[in-house]
Amino acid sequence: MDQSVAIQETLAEGEYCTIAVQGVLCKGDSRQSRLLGLVRYRLENGAQEHALFLYTHRRMAITGDDVSLDQIVPLSRDFMLEEVSPDGELYILGSDVTVQLDTAELRLVFQLPFGSHTRMFLQEVARACPGFDPETRDPEFLWLSRHRFAEPDVQSPKPREWNSDPGTRSGFTPIGGGRYQSRNARRGLEDVLLRSSSYILPGGGATEESEFLLARETLGGGTVGGRSARGGLRDEALEEADREMSAGGGSRERDCAGGFNLDSSRPNGRGLLMDQNSGARCQDKPDNFTRQNKSKSEITDMVRSSTITVSDKAHILSMHKFGLRDTIVKSHLVQKEEDYTYIQNFRFFVGTYNVNGQSPKECLRPWLSHSTQAPDVYCVGFQELDLSKEAFFFHDTPKEEEWFKAVSESLHPGAKYAKVKLIRLVGIMLLLYVKQEHAAHISEVEAETVGTGIMGRMGNKGGVAIRFQLHNTSICVVNSHLAAHTEEYERRNQDYKDICSRMQFSQVDSSLPPLTISKHDVILWLGDLNYRIEELDVEKVKMLIEEKAFQTLYAYDQLKIQVAAKTVFEGFTEGELTFQPTYKYDTGSDDWDTSEKCRAPAWCDRVLWKGKNISQLSYQSHMALKTSDHKPVSSVFDIGVRVVNEELYRKTLEEIVRSLDKMENANIPSVSLSKREFCFENVKYMQLQTESFTIHNGQVPCQFEFINKPEEYSYCKQWLTAKPSKGFLLPDSHVEIELELFVNKATATKLNSGEDKIEDILVLHLDRGKDYFLSVTGNYLPSCFGSPIHTLCYMREPILDLPLETVSKLTLMPVQTADDRSQLENPMEIPKELWMMVDYLYRNAIHQEDLFQQPGLRTEFEHIRDCLDTGMIDNLCASNHSVAEALLLFLESLPEPVICYSTYHNCLECSGNYTASKQVISTLPTFHKNVFNYLMAFLQELLKNSAKNHLDENILASIFGSLLLRNPAGRQKLDMVEKKKAQGFIHQFLCSPV
Amino acid sequence: MAKKTYDLLFKLLLIGDSGVGKTCVLFRFSDDAFNTTFISTIGIDFKIKTVELQGKKIKLQIWDTAGQERFHTITTSYYRGAMGIMLVYDITNGKSFENISKWLRNIDEHANEDVERMLLGNKCDMDDKRVVPKSKGEQIAREHGIRFFETSAKANINIEKAFLTLAEDILRKTPVKEPNSENVDISSGGGVTGWKSKCC
Repeated sequence: MDQSVAIQETLAEGEYCTIAVQGVLCKGDSRQSRLLGLVRYRLENGAQEHALFLYTHRRMAITGDDVSLDQIVPLSRDFMLEEVSPDGELYILGSDVTVQLDTAELRLVFQLPFGSHTRMFLQEVARACPGFDPETRDPEFLWLSRHRFAEPDVQSPKPREWNSDPGTRSGFTPIGGGRYQSRNARRGLEDVLLRSSSYILPGGGATEESEFLLARETLGGGTVGGRSARGGLRDEALEEADREMSAGGGSRERDCAGGFNLDSSRPNGRGLLMDQNSGARCQDKPDNFTRQNKSKSEITDMVRSSTITVSDKAHILSMHKFGLRDTIVKSHLVQKEEDYTYIQNFRFFVGTYNVNGQSPKECLRPWLSHSTQAPDVYCVGFQELDLSKEAFFFHDTPKEEEWFKAVSESLHPGAKYAKVKLIRLVGIMLLLYVKQEHAAHISEVEAETVGTGIMGRMGNKGGVAIRFQLHNTSICVVNSHLAAHTEEYERRNQDYKDICSRMQFSQVDSSLPPLTISKHDVILWLGDLNYRIEELDVEKVKMLIEEKAFQTLYAYDQLKIQVAAKTVFEGFTEGELTFQPTYKYDTGSDDWDTSEKCRAPAWCDRVLWKGKNISQLSYQSHMALKTSDHKPVSSVFDIGVRVVNEELYRKTLEEIVRSLDKMENANIPSVSLSKREFCFENVKYMQLQTESFTIHNGQVPCQFEFINKPEEYSYCKQWLTAKPSKGFLLPDSHVEIELELFVNKATATKLNSGEDKIEDILVLHLDRGKDYFLSVTGNYLPSCFGSPIHTLCYMREPILDLPLETVSKLTLMPVQTADDRSQLENPMEIPKELWMMVDYLYRNAIHQEDLFQQPGLRTEFEHIRDCLDTGMIDNLCASNHSVAEALLLFLESLPEPVICYSTYHNCLECSGNYTASKQVISTLPTFHKNVFNYLMAFLQELLKNSAKNHLDENILASIFGSLLLRNPAGRQKLDMVEKKKAQGFIHQFLCSPV
Repeated sequence: MAKKTYDLLFKLLLIGDSGVGKTCVLFRFSDDAFNTTFISTIGIDFKIKTVELQGKKIKLQIWDTAGQERFHTITTSYYRGAMGIMLVYDITNGKSFENISKWLRNIDEHANEDVERMLLGNKCDMDDKRVVPKSKGEQIAREHGIRFFETSAKANINIEKAFLTLAEDILRKTPVKEPNSENVDISSGGGVTGWKSKCC
């Protein structure tokens, strides 16, 4: 659909819409649909100027009525329209194209649909940009001034106005005109208000011009325009003037029928040109937009997430968007309606009466209560209730009360009725009553009016409607008074279409778009539809009526012909016309019109219906009533209404809720684990053990993660790692998780002492789902690695030969207690394990090059560790480098370094002062002092062989400095100054005799 | 007014010794079914069920916890955020009844102060193996001022009643918001986050 056609309809002469695209205007979080039209204007000198016209629109724009100009952005020199990539979003092929519009004054962001049309649009806009050629004149955009909205200062265009928000405009601008082109309607209104009588329209068709001339004259002083001014205009004003004259009561004043008594100073909207109703609609407009936007964004949300997964509906359910679940329940209820409702017939009385401005003079019972059975529902419509100009201008009429009373008094005496609603637009009134006992089952009553009269807006013609819900069936009753005159059937058709498209009922749920007439189960349409009998002359018509040859006559009925041509009332049914035409009689009689005009009789007053389970019981006119030049018409229907069986409804609702619950439960992420208990046996120092298991996912994509237990800083103990510890699983997929257990110097001591155990529980958490507990158990084999010096000195046996309790007790023993030799027996001078390693090196590695500087082998380390822990030193068979590294690891893993933490700072201070340094060493606990002296002696021994092993004091000081002296604050800390001092401290001892 | 499908979300928790039938109680309520094979719950499971009380649609999110002793320190961390706790024992298992006071202490220590508590004596269909008289259950419930039901997930006795009563008790304490404030979610967070929702 090329929407530029619709835009073109709103443009003035010389303006041409080259291309249009429908996009979404993004302002913050708000998303509003806009129609973007590139408009070209050819100047007199042949040059062209361009502007981007932005329209709001009520649907896919087909005609000018559907669009409403929102703002205009001239393609000036600083205009730029560029494609941008939205923040943080990956570009996906086929997604919307985001473009940014920049000018000196504003920046707008639009999303345009992906595709060639958008490409073409962007190219056209780029081509239309004026460029920077200094030769060409700056575009002036004088032509745009005509599009600006009501503003007294016409001459100097301000950019602000082009960007003005639709909501801030004057109340009567936004609605497009009915059968007149909206451009003219709007401009006409504004200009009429603003300009003097000398205003001349720049263009437009003859009819329109006449309209505006009429307006101008009125403004020009309210003088009588006269017929000549209007020329051949077939306007309702004329018709009414005619009527007045023929009725003999008309003054010429009434010729200003359009009510162009424009008093713009009137503070409320009542006296203004637009009827109240349309004024109210204008104010509603911004609301409507947000409403539609909201529902749209919800829809987009659903659409977007539906691309993620098939079981998307349940995903939405589990989110905390209750509204969505509600929508699903509602749609299920609609689908299952037949399960909990049954059809019950209700009797409807539908009546229409054009009363020709008269007051009720006779009892209406012959019309309203002609049947024996009291109807359940009364739908009574009037037209031409009041023809006075007060009714037209001020919308007030005493007739409303009079006729309401007359109807109320003439309802069927066999039942009590409650008035549901009264709605009136000038002379078109609709009354809805129900039997009192049904009142409780009437809901969602809304009433609206649409004027299609003068200028396509006024209430002298048009329709009123009441929509409601009777039990579970939605019903819309429309009363319309369509355009008059035999030859104007096309305007009648158009009036019908305008009523259909512009009649919008707001919904209880404000997130839903407004309801239209067609969205109802049952539509009852009554009124003075004004269709005439064509082709036959008056006498022939009267003769056929005389013969009661209604069938023959019906063939010439315009409504029949138009319905058959599918130009109006599509899908509606009308009963057979078995009564004579209801128009036009001499008032007070059953005689055909004898006035000068001598109008041909016609079936102006009709009742049509649309919907299922409707049967017409009668369709007739009521000749007995003589108040008007029309006869009233009635039709009685039996209408099958869906009535809810409360018990079945409750059951159905419950089933739906259950099924949604079930779906939601089924969509809680759930996995199965191949293993939940993990046992790590005989874990050794620095020996990796691995256990693995598999997570099998169910039907729901899920994210898993091991989560921290309360008051813990990681999801498991320090000696354990899960790989991977988090991830994402597609339905039916699986992942293997490895649990790695590794004990190092940081964790070994507490495992030796029993303060820690190989025991842990891991919590595997599924996002939006369950938690699984995994148990880890096992046992640790104590090792000399990670044991304190004094503990080892008290272990005369290999550590693995000792009972766990003894190891634990000795490990927990404070170093001060250890010094008090009286309490314990026979400690060794230094740990035997240290002696074993040093002795091995002394015997085998004294000449070894690069000693302590080459890495050992991991397997040999494990062998060395086992030999030390089991005391099988004789079996030790390893490379010198491995043993040297084991020695370094041993020193490194000491929980309390050889130079105790408490002495660390003293040592650094004494660094460079050998005497003081020796003094500090003498304060160490005995076993630590022993170890220190032993190691220094060994290192000096190595240095004696430096010719062979190439070791020197600096190398050894640097290696052992950081092992023997460790900063109590943080072992990782690498302060160069401290490191230098620590090396210096060791260096002194390597150079001097012990 | 258009009715909302549910107006409130209540988070309930089932606790009690291993094997007393917590999972079966939940399964009966959510799926109206019973499974005789015992599979120990090792972790935290949950199901939802929508109920209507006093014209309000209420979504119950019911958490089932592992009863085994070794998991107690972990499971107590799930108490926070629960608006109602069902403490279940087995009328054929004296030990499970003796542990009630320990469980109640756990609630005092770890749950929200205003949590609604309820005591259930499950497996009441197995009267021949009963070791805890109903009166003892009633007595301890009275002492702590909480409601008590004897239930059977297997024979479907009092299960629905217990849940609805608990939900009603919570509803009674819930400040009523005007229908205008749509989609009231009074349980702060309300998400399935376990203790992660706890602010650290």
